[in-house]
Amino acid sequence: MNYQQQVTYIIATSILLGATYNGIRENGIPWIAKPIKKVDEATAIEQIVDEPSIREIDLGVAKVLHWKGTLFIDARAEEYLEDGFIPGAIANDDTEALSEEIESLVGFDKSFVIYCSDDDCGSSEDLAYELQDLGFNNILVFKGGWKTWKEAGLDVEYDE
Amino acid sequence: MLNTMNKIHPLLVLIIRVLLGLIFIYASHDKILDPSKFARDISNYNVVPFGLENTVAIILPWLELVIGLGIVFGVCINGNVLICGGLLSLFIILISQAILRGYNIDCGCGLKDGEMVGLSKIIENFLFLGACYIVYQSKRRLLEFYPKSSL
Repeated sequence: MNYQQQVTYIIATSILLGATYNGIRENGIPWIAKPIKKVDEATAIEQIVDEPSIREIDLGVAKVLHWKGTLFIDARAEEYLEDGFIPGAIANDDTEALSEEIESLVGFDKSFVIYCSDDDCGSSEDLAYELQDLGFNNILVFKGGWKTWKEAGLDVEYDE
Repeated sequence: MLNTMNKIHPLLVLIIRVLLGLIFIYASHDKILDPSKFARDISNYNVVPFGLENTVAIILPWLELVIGLGIVFGVCINGNVLICGGLLSLFIILISQAILRGYNIDCGCGLKDGEMVGLSKIIENFLFLGACYIVYQSKRRLLEFYPKSSL
């Protein structure tokens, strides 16, 4: 068997195994990812959601929600918090402990906002999916996060 | 260079080969169990269009597993090592572009939880690439079952 045949068989086997396993497993994923739904108005967030949702918000909506007292969660690793964070935001590298704190503050159905360092960080989305798995139904991901907030000259808080 | 590779003791080549294979098997484990997390890690690189990160997340971990098993058990070593080298080169390019774009993201490598992209990951991948080269060029192979290499 020459190299080309070997490569073809290996790739074909992998596609077959991946497709089969994804098809039969309980939590298989769609072949094409759906983008996170974006919400442009803060009022739309207060509507009751029918099913667990993760939605995206921008700086404008984040500002309104912060002003209204919505809970903010900082998904950055703890060492980054020394540079400051959005006032009132909570953070914990331990997801279980964080989820208990969120539950005690807002429960499972009320919306809260998760953010990380900037547009390209992925930790806010990762945390959103982890928290959704733990039962939280109304999660908002603030795209742009800390960088956008700081660049807009909004209030920041520092740990003492 | 080819002659130099054939001067390496076959037992040493076998050890390198098994370690390389085990690394790929280990790296595939978490990705197979949690493809959504792996899809998000891929998405963070901002290079895969049209939501195809899910397609990659469904297939790539199994490719890593198949390659790893083939390399360890001496089946289609040349084909597996060729794909392995191709994947490692791709990972080096992806991590490099992420660093150049200033991304501070989880590398999604599957070896250690929460590993971020960085120079150490590029060096690590170059080392694995070197291991691929040694295994590929060395034709005095122990425990190679199918197909047998000819010297």
